[in-house]
Amino acid sequence: MTTPIRKLLIANRGEIAVRIIRACRDLGIRSIAVYSDADAAAFHVRLADEVYNIGPAPSNQSYLVQDKIIEAAKRSGAQAIHPGYGFLSENAAFAKRCEDEGLIFIGPKSETIALLGDKLAARATALKAGLPLIKGSDIESTNLAAALKIARSIGFPVLVKAAAGGGGKGMRVVNDEELFEESLSSAANEAKSAFGDSRVYLEKYLARPRHIEMQILCDQHGNCLYLGERECSIQRRHQKVIEESPSPIMTPEFRARMGKAAVGIARGSGYVGAGTVEFLVDEDKSFYFLEVNTRLQVEHPVTEMVTGIDLVKEQIAIAEGKKLSLAQDDIQIRGHAIECRIYAEDPDNGFMPSTGALKSYVVPAGPGIRVDSGVVVGSEIPIYYDPMIAKLIAWGKDRVEATSRMKRALEEYHVSGVETTIGFHRVIMDNEKFVAGGLSTRFLEEEYPDNVYRHLTDELRERAALAVAIDKYARERKIAVGNGGMAEAASRSNWKQTYRRVGLRQFGGSR
Amino acid sequence: MSRYHVVVDDKEFDITLEYRSEQFVATVNGRRYVVTQTPLTEGRSLLLIDNESLEVDVHSHNGGGERRVFMAGVEILTSIEDYAVAQMRKAAGISHVRTDDMLNAPMPGLVVDIKVKSGDKVAKGQPLIVVEAMKMENIIKAKHAGVIKAVRVQAGTSVEKGDILLEFE
Repeated sequence: MTTPIRKLLIANRGEIAVRIIRACRDLGIRSIAVYSDADAAAFHVRLADEVYNIGPAPSNQSYLVQDKIIEAAKRSGAQAIHPGYGFLSENAAFAKRCEDEGLIFIGPKSETIALLGDKLAARATALKAGLPLIKGSDIESTNLAAALKIARSIGFPVLVKAAAGGGGKGMRVVNDEELFEESLSSAANEAKSAFGDSRVYLEKYLARPRHIEMQILCDQHGNCLYLGERECSIQRRHQKVIEESPSPIMTPEFRARMGKAAVGIARGSGYVGAGTVEFLVDEDKSFYFLEVNTRLQVEHPVTEMVTGIDLVKEQIAIAEGKKLSLAQDDIQIRGHAIECRIYAEDPDNGFMPSTGALKSYVVPAGPGIRVDSGVVVGSEIPIYYDPMIAKLIAWGKDRVEATSRMKRALEEYHVSGVETTIGFHRVIMDNEKFVAGGLSTRFLEEEYPDNVYRHLTDELRERAALAVAIDKYARERKIAVGNGGMAEAASRSNWKQTYRRVGLRQFGGSR
Repeated sequence: MSRYHVVVDDKEFDITLEYRSEQFVATVNGRRYVVTQTPLTEGRSLLLIDNESLEVDVHSHNGGGERRVFMAGVEILTSIEDYAVAQMRKAAGISHVRTDDMLNAPMPGLVVDIKVKSGDKVAKGQPLIVVEAMKMENIIKAKHAGVIKAVRVQAGTSVEKGDILLEFE
């Protein structure tokens, strides 16, 4: 039996809220946005059909407050809630609450989220489904003597990880026995403060693994597909910054093995919806189960670009109870896609978040380019949330074409008002190891040990010097060269007036 | 004619500019260029350097003579001053590195750790203060070598963007 969704509430903000609103538009579903006081004029609020304020700027007083989200859903008459990623997306209690309130939670069942969210339970599930696991402790390691014994049997270096973990919190690499006790207790403390759960466990530390993950899609009727992999090895502080599909080292045979493993744990956990099974791949190409992310991933567009499948639309169709319209043999990987996460951060200053208003914002376009942006010109970048402002995705017939399109797009991307990571990405695109596909999760620290992400030619330096001299001269003498600027301002305001007139007609003059 | 001294990394540029009939005639370390500038939005302009088209975004960075230039997908840090000022400064034996006497909070946040105390000698790049914002710990490092005169905040202090964190001698 299927339940058509006519109204959907998006319990998120930024680019992912915009992405989901767009899927709603494509499907003729009425989109309901929620917003905090800091987001009153945010892009997702402007695009949605209906919007509800859910309180003060800090996320623990707004986007994370289950009662407020549920209340907005009730008031608006939404049948379903899409949690996006982050915030409440992997919160089993919230999924349960939706189930109890008769709202469709777009994601797996609450018990699946709870099972896979606990790293130890997830490892046990993976083991049962026959997935390869990194050598480690499958019990919590809070007893020092017992833990040390396990660490010795695994062999140093070992990785201490939080059972409730994520985002690198409660994680420690321990190189030798001497630091073991200290690392174990500090990881447990960090896990306790971050997740309210001090359980930690141990894993063999792989020196230079790749991070490769499988996108899965499962309906409510027991059908489950894998949609190919994404390689997300380029990470900073355990956060992905560049992702691509396919992985440069993938072969059809390898993909089938990894895909079957991913489908295996999905079936073993009763998975429904879109999800991601993450693996680490060692230098000898052995792969090991890492974890399952029970939600849409930030990097989902690279899969969409190479498979032609709209994952958000699929999520909604699955939530409506529809059967998957595709079979595994229908999934073809076409070309290559790369995503660069554009953050409002200053790469020259330790990636410090950069806040403020976007004075200018021009996004690239042209063949093979997709920009999933959460902001527009004039948008404020608040301090309260993740500083990612957009994702730039380039598609090409192969990795070389995708990379050259990405370079072109990064050069066309103009942002002023806040610092961004655009220049950082441009540098990576020229990195010889990146070009050769020689990736590992230690790529950035190995290639850029001093955190300097620039390589300038003397010609560029000279151009920059000339540009600042002309800028200074023009500002001091207040030169309005020609009247190009004036003409542009005039045409812009004409356009604005026309737009407003059209807008008034469209909304029946009610605003 | 105006004359400027611009530094990009370790390269110095002696630039002269003359503005006539809506064009700049420029020399950069003796090389001559004809440049037209069309302002776009705030800070951005289109430069035609001997007909080579270049869209640039120039904005001041940390106040003073530091400018950040964004062009061709790269961000470039520069510093500019009037040529005459640069000459006097050089004659006085002062390096071109601008030294701030204050360290301001680059963002609002919570001071979680202070790694220096008054009287400490610090080297360029040395961690000074850790500020937590957006749930991330941000280490504020010394932009130049110097001696700490006073620390104006304590661990646990909430700061607004621009608040004085510490003073240099």
